[in-house]
Amino acid sequence: MATADSRVRDPVVGGNSVGKTFAGGTVVALENASFDIEKGSFVSLVGPSGCGKSTLLRLIAGLIEPTSGSLQVHGSKVSAPRQDVAMMFQRATLLEWRTAIENVLLPTEIQRRVTADDRNRAMELLQLVGLGEFAFSFPAQLSGGMQQRVALARLLQTGADVLLMDEPFGALDEFTRERLNIELLRIVGEVGATTIFVTHNIAEAIFLADKVYVMTPRPGRLAQVIDVPLARPRELAVQTSPEFNRLVEDARETLGAL
Amino acid sequence: MSAPFGQLQWLRACYRALPHLGLFALLIAAWEVLVRTGVIASIMVPRPSSIGASIVELYFVKGTIWRHFFITLGEAVGGFLIGAAIAVALAIGSSLWEPFRRYVSPYAVVLNVTPGIALTPIIIAWFGFGMGSKMALAAIISFFPIFVNTLTGLTQPDTEREELFRSLGSSERQVFWMLRVPSALPLMFAGFKIGLTTALIGAVVAEFAQATEGVGVLMSRFSFQLNMGASIATLLSMTLIGLILFYSMEFLDDRTVFWRREERRAAASRNRARAWKRYAKLNSKSGSSI
Repeated sequence: MATADSRVRDPVVGGNSVGKTFAGGTVVALENASFDIEKGSFVSLVGPSGCGKSTLLRLIAGLIEPTSGSLQVHGSKVSAPRQDVAMMFQRATLLEWRTAIENVLLPTEIQRRVTADDRNRAMELLQLVGLGEFAFSFPAQLSGGMQQRVALARLLQTGADVLLMDEPFGALDEFTRERLNIELLRIVGEVGATTIFVTHNIAEAIFLADKVYVMTPRPGRLAQVIDVPLARPRELAVQTSPEFNRLVEDARETLGAL
Repeated sequence: MSAPFGQLQWLRACYRALPHLGLFALLIAAWEVLVRTGVIASIMVPRPSSIGASIVELYFVKGTIWRHFFITLGEAVGGFLIGAAIAVALAIGSSLWEPFRRYVSPYAVVLNVTPGIALTPIIIAWFGFGMGSKMALAAIISFFPIFVNTLTGLTQPDTEREELFRSLGSSERQVFWMLRVPSALPLMFAGFKIGLTTALIGAVVAEFAQATEGVGVLMSRFSFQLNMGASIATLLSMTLIGLILFYSMEFLDDRTVFWRREERRAAASRNRARAWKRYAKLNSKSGSSI
């Protein structure tokens, strides 16, 4: 039902009837997904497990290849991981033998020789996520929330302008998650990146995004696009507004009508 | 700053050690009494005091033991290094290339299930009576635990972090050195610890079989002379070698895999902060001079 949306003015990420099957075609993870994501926008992918949201994210990251259709980032076809796209995972996936700052520098180290500028940038990013004082701590010395902040700084260190986040705060407690979500909005707003955020939490999806793609399982497909006209910057209190609740109801209806 | 606290800790440690020392003294005293009263024949089991006398003579007065001590230590360490080098090389090859693993692992298993010690006569026929045969046997029996642990460590699945590396556009070489090797280090060191201890067994057994030097030779010589005091005094030197080897490896493990222990982590954290500041200072200076 959801098709390429013509209203998008400046698409950064685009998909054209993207499909992905696993196990020799027997499992349809994603079917006929077409979409265009506007530059600098925040998009949430929401749906129950098995709806293909993580698959879609991995396709955009170039970690897996589509079985049918094609994907573009900045107008060029995605065929492998690329430097203008970076991904953050549910687990912080830090290297325990590296300090926070060394973990942040990992993307740079993989790409080239680290310069003094890179090091300064990494330190600025750690300060941006509020961990300036913990630059030389090892992951084991940090809480789960702090580890995810380091992962966020590492994500930004890549310099990519398309950020893919696969339930990045899903393993954290409710309070930490809400706080980090607010900070995430501030930070991606500051760096002006295009963000695609996967979650199974409808309220979280709507709170964060400019546009929510509601996905349904078996086979995984984009079932509905919801525009979120709520003003920014957003406070947690917006979640009690009638407008917010109408949007949540709207998404629930789509998911309930499976 | 924590001098009083440190002293208190010392006192506590001594206090805790007291019962152990007491029990040890009691056992030695009972042993001494049993032999002196003739309950145990002194020709079979020497008195602790005569072991003590032999220790003083062998270690301090004549010092005969030290030459043999260092020969056996050298054999064990040399054999371990050879065994470990081959084991790590084969494990790396096996981890990188599946067909290689399929061809190598049957031999590794056969080598493991064959009692390594049983190879002693053959090894001595091949490598002679000198240190070479001791090192060879030590290398052979220390090989397997190191091989298995290294291979297990290098092939542990870590899907998420591999995906992270891949999404960052890393090469296979980078994944190997920056992810796989550090992740494997804890298991590798566990293998090294076992391998080093078994290397000592290999060296001593080969000395018992046929040799001219080493603590094994010395000990069998004393046993043949029914000089039990000296024999046990020599045995204790093997214990000493074992302890030295074990704790040296423990030390290396602690420094290399520093991220497991809170204390070491804290120290590493301080060091890296200092290095970072040094680098920053150096860079700002060179920057301003240009």
